[in-house]
Amino acid sequence: MYRNGPKSAPDPSSNPLDDICPVCKSNRYLNPSLQFLINPECYHKMCSTCVDRIFTSGPSSCPVPHCGRTLRKKGFRKAFFTDLHVEREVDIRKRVSEVFNRRQDEFETLLDWNNYLEEVEALVFDLVEGSAADKARAEEKLKEYRDAYREEIEGNKRVGKEEVEGERRRERAERDGARARRLAVAREAEEEKADVEKGKRDLLERLANSDGDASAITRQAQKVILKKSSARRNITEEASESNGSANSGLTIRGLKKRVTPVEEKPYDPFGGVDLTPARYTVQESYDNEWLGNAKKDMRHMAGGYSLQEYYARTMFEAFSGLGVFIEEEVADRGQKSDPLVATAAAAEASKGEINLGHKMELDDVF
Amino acid sequence: MAPSSVSEDERYRTSTQYRLWSFTPASLLELRTTTNRSAANRVRDAVRRVREARAASSGNTSEADGGNESRAVSAVPEGEVDCLSVEEELKLVTHFCRQTLQLGDHLQVPTDVKATAVQYIKRFYITNSCMTYDPKTLLKTALFFATKTENHYFRLTKFAEAITATKPEEILASEFLLTQGLRFTFDVRHPFRALEGAVMELQAMANGHIPVGDKLRGMDRRVKEAHGKAREYLKTSALLTDVYFHYTPSQIMMASLLIADRQLISLYLSSKLPPGSGSANAAISAKLMEALDRCAAMLQSMEPGKEQSSEEKKELSALAKKLRKCRNPEKIDLVSLQRAKREGDGEDEKVVKKRKLERERSAKEGEDVFGPTIPK
Repeated sequence: MYRNGPKSAPDPSSNPLDDICPVCKSNRYLNPSLQFLINPECYHKMCSTCVDRIFTSGPSSCPVPHCGRTLRKKGFRKAFFTDLHVEREVDIRKRVSEVFNRRQDEFETLLDWNNYLEEVEALVFDLVEGSAADKARAEEKLKEYRDAYREEIEGNKRVGKEEVEGERRRERAERDGARARRLAVAREAEEEKADVEKGKRDLLERLANSDGDASAITRQAQKVILKKSSARRNITEEASESNGSANSGLTIRGLKKRVTPVEEKPYDPFGGVDLTPARYTVQESYDNEWLGNAKKDMRHMAGGYSLQEYYARTMFEAFSGLGVFIEEEVADRGQKSDPLVATAAAAEASKGEINLGHKMELDDVF
Repeated sequence: MAPSSVSEDERYRTSTQYRLWSFTPASLLELRTTTNRSAANRVRDAVRRVREARAASSGNTSEADGGNESRAVSAVPEGEVDCLSVEEELKLVTHFCRQTLQLGDHLQVPTDVKATAVQYIKRFYITNSCMTYDPKTLLKTALFFATKTENHYFRLTKFAEAITATKPEEILASEFLLTQGLRFTFDVRHPFRALEGAVMELQAMANGHIPVGDKLRGMDRRVKEAHGKAREYLKTSALLTDVYFHYTPSQIMMASLLIADRQLISLYLSSKLPPGSGSANAAISAKLMEALDRCAAMLQSMEPGKEQSSEEKKELSALAKKLRKCRNPEKIDLVSLQRAKREGDGEDEKVVKKRKLERERSAKEGEDVFGPTIPK
């Protein structure tokens, strides 16, 4: 593995060159406090003594042959990764991702998001592995992008920060909650113990002072203690229940962010069928001697009875089927099904089984 | 879905009353004739069977038969069976419908319940015959069943107590039979509420709340009178005649109003279907008036206030006597038949078992890839 803890000393057996400063050739074997630093300008490794020696008096060029970059002391830091190629790539990635910080929910389709990621990855590759021309092109692109979308980049950065902040807060709240619960439980146990002690003391006192039946007093005292402890248990249960409901939102992680739901239209039981009557219009109110009382009576209205319902129903029944001429309509279908089925049923009726069409076979009741 | 308009008529066409229980006079008569003929045949067959059984049993042993058998045997008359004709059956059914109304009055049930019960009886006896199932017991069942479908709770024991010589089992025995005869359609569309609607609107027109010319203005009193008279027709004539089978509730209601006050209703209908606006409307209104006139004539064939004349009564009692002689002896004791059915005696058990086996087999075959074998 490349990664080593910052505190742990690198394993000398892996690569002896790792322990020798390429500039002054001092050895960790001779100088156990030897510490290597790098500068992200050129990622050349040197020991802290060299850095102090060369750069304390101001910016100077890199002491590594054929490098010649101008470095400042301020830019030096400890490498996190032993492999400096990795260190460099991580730095580049950090820099790129600060600029290309789009989020998936900004894209309409998954394909768009993936295309964007692909593009960013190509850019990173150019910066890490590409030739000088590739690198220059990539840098140019990065700069262009930064200038073009300054505002959006800033916005996304803010959002990301807030998220991190929220996560941290949540963790803290959880920790606090857990500690509080632990404390409460401990206090609970303590109190219970104290109660039992007190009960025992009381019992002894009572036994000593009163001249009642000893066993009766003991029994009673036991009961009191039991009652107390059970009451306490109930209280704690209630408290924990309310706690649970309050905290339940915090313990679940990885919830998908909620999108504000689209407002649903009111449910239409008739599926959009227009039931407006053609032959009449229902009036606001009708004079009807039967309904005179119902209009004013509290007992009718309190239950939500609506006279409009009654009006609509009566009017509907008055005109429903006025234009249905059974003699014509039934004569047409008469041959088709119904009377035939019915006659068949009649013919079979007293035989023992009724055969209604071919769909249904009914036992004759008797 | 695009909003589509559904007219009142379309909505009526979805009802079972329209789909299953509307007939032309000819088809209704045909149905009744067929029913009557097959029932008569079956009565003759049953009588012959019972006689053979009696001959056999009297040949073998003395008369020590079980209850059901001996009762059936005792009910069998001597000689050739004289069956009822279609007209006679119809008269009897109408008579028993009348009795249902009286029974309903006696039990003080609402008009809706009575009307529904009567329609149940009428519907039941289209495909069943009086000779097979006795209307006298069936009418109680119908009335009791109507209290349930019309949401008017009536305790069964109380119901049976209120009628002389009736046991609860007797009422329940033919309940499933009745529902089967009704083809499990319990919805009956009555013209009563429709009448309230029409009268309400007429009144609003008379008082000027709904603007329609001046012709209907101030006819308040006439509307009220027409309302009362029409209601009488709907309560009796409409129930006892066959109008429910041939016309829609709205038409029945309009026809009864037409009898009550022809001028008023003509004005009303012409305001609903203005004659000037297109020939289609005119054609419909002419057709409607014709239908209403026929319906009205049918209603008037049975005037509401009129009692049965003594001649009719005599005829009816003769018919009742005749019915007693041509009852199907196998279907007289419905209570014990129902009990036997429920307990399932030997032969029935065999049938039930066979049927169960068949069902299981077809279910098993149904799971086959190519489905069950096609029945021949």
